[in-house]
Amino acid sequence: MTLRAPLAAVFGAVLIALLSGCSAVSQTPSVPPKHPEELSAGRVNCLDCHSDVSTGALKPYATVRHSRVFIDAHGAYARQGQNLCSSCHSPSFCQTCHTRKDEMKPNEKMGDRPDRMAPHRGDYLVTHRIDGRLDPGSCFRCHGNKNDVRCRQCHK
Amino acid sequence: MGRSTTVASSGRWRLPSAVAVFLLLPLLVAGSARAADYSLSSNTYLRYYERELAGGNKNTFAPLYEYLSADAANLGGTPVAFHFYGWGRVDLADPSGSGKESGDLGSAYLEYLHPKGNAQLKLGRFFLAEGVAVETLDGAFFKVTTPLGFGISGYGGAPVEQSILDNVSPGGSLYGGRLFFNRSGATEIGVSYLKEKGPFQGKDRELYGGDLWLRVVPAVEITGQATYNKSTRGMASQRYALRIVPGGRFDISGGYEAYSYKDLFQTALHPIFISPSTPVDNADKVKTIFGVLDWEVVSGLTLELAAKNIRHDKENPGKANRGEAGIRYAFNERKDVFGLSAAAVTSDREENEYQEFRGFVSFSPSKFRFSIDALTQQFKKEIEGKKRAHQVVASAGYKVRPYLSVSGDLTYTQSSTFQQDYAGLVRATLELGTATGGTK
Repeated sequence: MTLRAPLAAVFGAVLIALLSGCSAVSQTPSVPPKHPEELSAGRVNCLDCHSDVSTGALKPYATVRHSRVFIDAHGAYARQGQNLCSSCHSPSFCQTCHTRKDEMKPNEKMGDRPDRMAPHRGDYLVTHRIDGRLDPGSCFRCHGNKNDVRCRQCHK
Repeated sequence: MGRSTTVASSGRWRLPSAVAVFLLLPLLVAGSARAADYSLSSNTYLRYYERELAGGNKNTFAPLYEYLSADAANLGGTPVAFHFYGWGRVDLADPSGSGKESGDLGSAYLEYLHPKGNAQLKLGRFFLAEGVAVETLDGAFFKVTTPLGFGISGYGGAPVEQSILDNVSPGGSLYGGRLFFNRSGATEIGVSYLKEKGPFQGKDRELYGGDLWLRVVPAVEITGQATYNKSTRGMASQRYALRIVPGGRFDISGGYEAYSYKDLFQTALHPIFISPSTPVDNADKVKTIFGVLDWEVVSGLTLELAAKNIRHDKENPGKANRGEAGIRYAFNERKDVFGLSAAAVTSDREENEYQEFRGFVSFSPSKFRFSIDALTQQFKKEIEGKKRAHQVVASAGYKVRPYLSVSGDLTYTQSSTFQQDYAGLVRATLELGTATGGTK
């Protein structure tokens, strides 16, 4: 029963956090779970309405503007917290790409959205050989650390 | 034990049953379901394509996919929400995968969001990105920040092995956490830990990590992440970047990234890639210097430049450079975009060298939406007898109702895999909700 000890530790920690939480939690208001205003279609720029750092957001809006720079590095920000992301994106948004098991490529699902940064455009059966040789770490980010079974489908 | 999410043909009703149960769960949890805000997103895809097999046989594929996400927030008037995401496939013609049906329960969890300090609690199956962890987990997660800015997060449960194949050896349990300090608008720094018990090349998976975001002055920030793999006793990965972002129009970043195959792929690198007959060497290490620029030159017109120098310790694959340049022009109140881009990869080895050109545009008059996306690649060395690959995707759609859209894609591909391939896709998107507010 290897599961029992770590789960007990986690639930214990959760319990302690909850019991002491009411007084120990920062009094800064949280980011709203859902953006209070409707968002327009297409890529939204937070800076159109917001300036610098909003309460609870922790990072400046310029930091999370969805430029090519941010999109390339979004994982670094997401690993510190996703509250601000989930205010505008649905909870399942990450799993459009970070799904590991999915059979449809992101660019197939979003064939009507060529403006989106969807990986694996074109015949990726061809170009994955080059990406796999030059930068296999880039596969890892979405396909995960144990998903070499996807490779094994063909590389038997 | 970890769980495989594969829904085999024998479990014909497993996914629909799970969907029904999880969609009804909020009603059981909430004392007053009427107070909840519901949203439901359904994306249905019907693909059609043919494949010629060895021996001249032809298979016809028509997989029908349903991607469903449902969210119920403000349950019983409390900051408790339930989130669900899953997909399923049924083949209307020849089997397109392992069996004529497949599916996956991506997430189904209860979430409590404290109104103060971004404190939160999750319980169920969820995608987790926290410090060194990027996992899908059946378990619990909590995060809390104190008034001084120090915080703690923790998680534990059974890892979900989301594999296309059946019978994948899962990890037994996964747990970890992160200690952090943040000051709004100035810095966030954290240390994290993850342990997954399992037969990963004879060892558990045990990672230590550090992460940093530091706003040096209002327009300049530094980010850094480093992961140490205790099981293999080596630095798995590092990434450090300097970013200058003085406002909403100009953004430039440069940095350094490195990883070691042995330490990053501890659990993943299949022996086929390590054998002497293949070029992947498990002792290889990669060091990358990169730069990215995003500059909105005038309103709507954005210039994108990116460059990357990749250096492997091993002569094969050796060194490579990738350069990219592109423009994007957003119009029609940013609903539509026109884009052009070019990229080139040079390398020590010519089998890794290629050039890529792409152009796309979308146009949305009234309730219609049209788009076309063309990509061509030229390889320096033939790949299975061909030096070129092309793909064009044309799409047309119509918004039937504010909450219902239908569209169709036609994809043409010519490459070393396909002589000439046409594939069709019909898409129906349904977005229902009882609350206002943004959900992209």
